[in-house]
Amino acid sequence: MPTKLKDLPVWPVVFMLGFLLVWEAVVDLYKVRPIILPAPSQVAVALAQRWDVLLTHLLPTLWLTVLGFALSVVGGIGVAILVTYSEVLRKGLYPIIVVTQVVPKVSIAPLFIVWFDTGLVSSTLLAFLVAFFPMVINAVVGFHIHDEDLLRMARAYMGSRWQIFLKIRLPNAMPYIFAGMKISITLAVIGVIVAEFVASQEGLGYLIKLSGGLFDTPLMLASIVVLSAMGLALYGIIAWAEKRVIYWQSVPGAEAAAAPA
Amino acid sequence: MLPKAAAIDETPNRSTAAAGIAAPAVRVESVSKAYGDIEAIRRADFAVAEGEFLSILGPSGCGKSTLLMMVAGLLGPSSGRVVIGERLVDGPRADIGVVFQSPVLLPWRTVMENVMLPVEMQHLPREAHVRRARELLAVTHLEEFANRLPRELSGGMRQRVSICRALVIDPRILLMDEPFSALDAITRDEMGQELLRLWQIHRKTVIFVTHSIREAAFLSDRVIVMGRRPATIVADVRIDLPRPRALSIEETEPFNRYVRTLRQAIEANHAH
Repeated sequence: MPTKLKDLPVWPVVFMLGFLLVWEAVVDLYKVRPIILPAPSQVAVALAQRWDVLLTHLLPTLWLTVLGFALSVVGGIGVAILVTYSEVLRKGLYPIIVVTQVVPKVSIAPLFIVWFDTGLVSSTLLAFLVAFFPMVINAVVGFHIHDEDLLRMARAYMGSRWQIFLKIRLPNAMPYIFAGMKISITLAVIGVIVAEFVASQEGLGYLIKLSGGLFDTPLMLASIVVLSAMGLALYGIIAWAEKRVIYWQSVPGAEAAAAPA
Repeated sequence: MLPKAAAIDETPNRSTAAAGIAAPAVRVESVSKAYGDIEAIRRADFAVAEGEFLSILGPSGCGKSTLLMMVAGLLGPSSGRVVIGERLVDGPRADIGVVFQSPVLLPWRTVMENVMLPVEMQHLPREAHVRRARELLAVTHLEEFANRLPRELSGGMRQRVSICRALVIDPRILLMDEPFSALDAITRDEMGQELLRLWQIHRKTVIFVTHSIREAAFLSDRVIVMGRRPATIVADVRIDLPRPRALSIEETEPFNRYVRTLRQAIEANHAH
């Protein structure tokens, strides 16, 4: 996280512009056909001229991503609470969750289509499934209190289970939950796009596949740009909320500026 | 479950009788603690008078903290019992304040909110306790920091906050588990004086666990020395030094005599 003005993303912007210029020059110099690789300027033109198509397909993708993500947050935190408070689930279920993480979730997409047909349910479920695991695991870690004295303190002052959850475990878990959400939101986008690749008549994933079939590479790249912007925006919203919710976490370097000993 | 008020036999504890002080606030009656085959504490027996400042002195890992946690009701003894007032200790109690080795403050709460945590948990009237919290913060020179977060405080300040948190509910008994051991020597001396000043005002019954001989001698009315493996009480020493005490007392001959006595008690135990 940038702490000083000179750490602000000046250099990445410079590099990105340089990259785009080189790309433009190479396409121009070697007369690369737009079907193979359109120049950034051609992609920009596609963005400007086809914005209505792009917007039409952005909305369902955005909606399903947010829905799948929201389900994964609620479900992930819910399962984490169960795992935290039930020894049976912690011993029986949690290891299975950890191990099934390695299953490539997108490979289950065709199964969802068999079960739920194409469309909203399959896409949302896939987004949920992909985004779910980092949520559970981060939340479980967050709800666990490592400091034995902290729990003793809470018990010594007669804190009930509910109070200990609300006043200690939940705030303790917030940084972990946000870390999980930042991973999950990017994964939810992947889940929705894969679902749209295999089974959809709308959405940016569908548009990418369709424009590929039509050899409309500028539109394909424009779709990817829109999709990336969407992912970045969603991530940005979570990062923004994180900074406000977790006000107590010190920015690196701030510790040294704290009160003297 | 144990009965609410267990009948207590009326035989006065030896040390209390010798001191000639009123009914004990805390009685530890042949308390033992074992973890599996490992015997951590063997038949600890002592009483603490109302308003007395008692230290439990012993080497690290001798089980003195375990003993304190049993008084706090956070651990159950394997045998024996702890009695506070007329009641058997069978769990945490509202009239005990505990200070741990680390301050264990909640980083998302301001100093004031941290001090108020026990008040919230015990559903005590808020307004009166905010006033009390303010007084405590003033006495411990933390009033300008009431709205700061713990990360903005030094180690000594954090531990003072945790002492305020222990005192906000006006407990009868204050239990302190090596509260200054993580601090540097200079801060530690300051904290000792500060604690005595607070104690002079509030006159709680204090049980203070430490591995520092000088700290124990400086703070206490009485010091119990614990030996190692399995921990037993090897000495019970009254510190008859005038109060209020200043740090300069540590240069006096009577103080150093007590330090020698305590050291010899520890070394005698290590010899065999």
